[in-house]
Amino acid sequence: MLNYLIRRLLYAVPILLGVIFLTFVLFRVVNTPEHAAINALGPKSSVDARNAWIVNNGRDLPLYKQFATHTIQLATFDFQPSITTKRPMGETFREGVGPSLCVTLPGFILGLCLALVLSLYQVFVRNSAADRTITLICVVMMSLPTMVYIIFGQAVVALGLGWFPVSGFTKGLDAVRFLLLPVAIMAIISLGYDARMFRAVFLEEIAQDYVRTAHAKGLSATRVLSRHVLKNGLIALITLTVGQLPKLIMGTLLIESFFGIPGIGNVMVQGIQTSDEPVVLACAYLGALLYLAALILTDILYAAADPRIRLS
Amino acid sequence: MLRKTTRLFALAAALWLAACDNNPHPAPLHKTRPDGTPWVVRYQAIREDPRSFDPQYTYDQISRKVVEGVYDTLLEYHPMKTDPYELQPCMLAEMPVKAADGLSYDFRLKEGVRFHDDPCFPGGKGREVVAEDIQYVFQRIADPAVESPFESTFEECLVGMAETHKAAGKKLDYATQRVAGVEVLDRYRFRLRLTKKYPQILYWLAYQCTAPVAREAVAYYDGENGREDFRKFASVGTGPYRIVNYEPRSRVTLERVPNYTTTVFPSDGFPAAKAEWLKTLAGKALPFIDEIQLPIHHENIPRFLHFRQGYLDIMAVDKDSFNAMVSPMRTLSPEFQKRGTILEPAFEISTFWISFNMDDPVIGENLKLRQALAHATDSKRYAEIFYAGVAPVATQLLPSGIFGHDRERQKRYPFDLEKGKQLLAEAGYPGGRDKDGKQLELTLTGQGAGSEDRQRVEFDQRCFEQLGIAVKVNSVTFARLQDIEDRGDFQMCTTTGWGADYPDPENYFMLFYSKNVSPVGKNYFRFRHAEYDRIFEQMVVMENSPERLELTRKLQRILDDECPMVPTFHKAAYLTLQPWAPRTHNNLMYEVDGGHKYLVTDTVMRERLQRELNKPALWPAFVLGGLVLAGVVAFIGAVRRSKNQTA
Repeated sequence: MLNYLIRRLLYAVPILLGVIFLTFVLFRVVNTPEHAAINALGPKSSVDARNAWIVNNGRDLPLYKQFATHTIQLATFDFQPSITTKRPMGETFREGVGPSLCVTLPGFILGLCLALVLSLYQVFVRNSAADRTITLICVVMMSLPTMVYIIFGQAVVALGLGWFPVSGFTKGLDAVRFLLLPVAIMAIISLGYDARMFRAVFLEEIAQDYVRTAHAKGLSATRVLSRHVLKNGLIALITLTVGQLPKLIMGTLLIESFFGIPGIGNVMVQGIQTSDEPVVLACAYLGALLYLAALILTDILYAAADPRIRLS
Repeated sequence: MLRKTTRLFALAAALWLAACDNNPHPAPLHKTRPDGTPWVVRYQAIREDPRSFDPQYTYDQISRKVVEGVYDTLLEYHPMKTDPYELQPCMLAEMPVKAADGLSYDFRLKEGVRFHDDPCFPGGKGREVVAEDIQYVFQRIADPAVESPFESTFEECLVGMAETHKAAGKKLDYATQRVAGVEVLDRYRFRLRLTKKYPQILYWLAYQCTAPVAREAVAYYDGENGREDFRKFASVGTGPYRIVNYEPRSRVTLERVPNYTTTVFPSDGFPAAKAEWLKTLAGKALPFIDEIQLPIHHENIPRFLHFRQGYLDIMAVDKDSFNAMVSPMRTLSPEFQKRGTILEPAFEISTFWISFNMDDPVIGENLKLRQALAHATDSKRYAEIFYAGVAPVATQLLPSGIFGHDRERQKRYPFDLEKGKQLLAEAGYPGGRDKDGKQLELTLTGQGAGSEDRQRVEFDQRCFEQLGIAVKVNSVTFARLQDIEDRGDFQMCTTTGWGADYPDPENYFMLFYSKNVSPVGKNYFRFRHAEYDRIFEQMVVMENSPERLELTRKLQRILDDECPMVPTFHKAAYLTLQPWAPRTHNNLMYEVDGGHKYLVTDTVMRERLQRELNKPALWPAFVLGGLVLAGVVAFIGAVRRSKNQTA
């Protein structure tokens, strides 16, 4: 196990270096120091001011030196402050994680529960009219882009029906009324895909010998589904769910931006819109780090859930 | 199981009922004023987070809009006299007195103007603003550690700025390194000494970059021990408002400062249409609004929906809301007319153009080619497509509101393809081909960050290609476009223009002055013309007068003759205001929705209309609940049937 972990961690190093290199090329090679200075100081800034900015920010150094400094800074989590607001990235992340999790965590759990219930129900009534109808609805839901859900939520549910604020956020308990709509949309967005996938997994499980044995022993269909099929199917679902964990922390770009949730997704959108290099680089690095961690965690959970799997 | 389901439903219903208030704003800071009258709040959205609250450092529009009410300036623009714009004293007791040689100005501060109460002062009580604070402001601009983008501007005109900046090294020693051109005469009087005649210095004193800040505040807010950094988001000003809350990516809240007396509502300059109403406000104490909430909306759609619900008091119409708000006749749509919404055009003080690189061997040396291209530019159609016809076609360099703008002037090169083709032939390209029969190919560089930007560039491309030439488009980011213009690495540029820093013709004509050729200055056109330079140098040091007006006309004529650019349009937008928040001023130097201290809001009307607009519809909730219940019952039924079958 320990050997496996060390090996996986070592594998992660070149992947991370690749991410750092690619983002560095995008922002430091394609985007010249002059562009960065204009972004930071504005289009009417003088050439002297831009040159001073380039020197002060080390953008006049040879690229290999810049890359070395940049890599060390990221590896030690010494993120550069935003070039637009000069706020330290650590502070920005600390402030953003809470609001992001307020939307993503309940949205993820609710979506997962709904997908599980729906898929189990489909398996329960498989090949019936109800199963086919739900499958059709799921396919339609999978086909709709996220923006459709967001605009429907804001224009119909918030504006038309007046049930929720269109967007906004506040601290404390009052935040609940701002969160209900984005959480519901977050849960619904992936419902179609998740329900279809869970249904496929459960249908595969239900064809296994142990299920027939359970039925033969006289167990009820609900008991077989909830005690046996669900438990064994969960192993396959680990990949899906653990892979989502980085998204929970990094937030969702569109939902946060449209609903005014001041989370990390919102930070990224603003960083991209203002070409705020340190913000985008830090977000990309953290995202990569979290995805790698999630992949390793998936493997470990696999081994824990299924004794037949050995990490070696 | 049914009991559990019922509980879950009850919990969901309770949550939903609690959430049914769709007001997106947090509760105001207070309900009533100390005298018992209603607390007045203004709600208007900003598109991005501010970058800083430090007036000497910040330059972007959003930050300026936020700190505009926080920091009073020495001079300010009259809120209604906008054609041309006029300066008036704000923190000064009177207008500055110019020396006979024009190389210095004497100023006198109003007595009794105080910084806001703040922990940075002994006992938390704000102290009086004195002339020494003005020296401190210019020291901050000179200090390399502040990274003020205004340093280069003052380096050119203020005695000692360049020397102080250079001598400072990395950080200025405020005790010993003073700006020689700022002389403190006594407690309230100071003098600015200039390196050259530069009457435009007065406009910079109406800019927030020269707004007084307290050295105590800068020292106290050092970013240590949990205190904010003054260069980031601390503010201790002298204006009618203070920032009481800034939640990044969410909102900024400003609260009225008690006992603000520096300025009052003006008594003259009222536009005829609003004169009767504005007279009732004349001489009244400012501000009228107690709290300003500035929610940050990155996206257009939520902003429009909030305005539609009555939760925003003002909104500039954008492409996402245009069809819903403005009819094809360019009036308000019936829905908004019915609710009394006000639609007003807002003309920014800007000019946009297609620029020609005068150093380019093909375009720069061929006047007739430039003229042919100018005749092929259909600015009217452009403004109709991309600005819904509200943006005026530019007939000259100077926009309206700036001294020298000629209302009667016609476009020198109107859209005329036949004339364009004739000039093209005279330029040596009959039918768009040179003497060897090869088609002329030009490159047009423009912003291409989004689909609309690309459409703008493609519009100009199509215009030019109607002459029979080929036009290659080079779509780049905004920053890259600036860089390309700086380096002169282009033939023609579009989607660029100039927004006035101050309303003086110098701010526009300097763009064609040969000593300002990029990258040193902002003459991206690389236009060099001895006669133009001579007249410009004369005009720049003059006060507004008939003689100066004649010089601006001459400069415009030279630009017309030489055609280094084609003016296309002056930027404008439709502004919509709720019936309870009409505009009291039309001053665009305060930004489209700025000038907070002059604004008014009828809160009684707002509450009534908001209630009418936001009645929740409950029946769909029952339908939805019924559907969910039916689903649950079906599920339970299926489970029971399964159990029965097994049994």
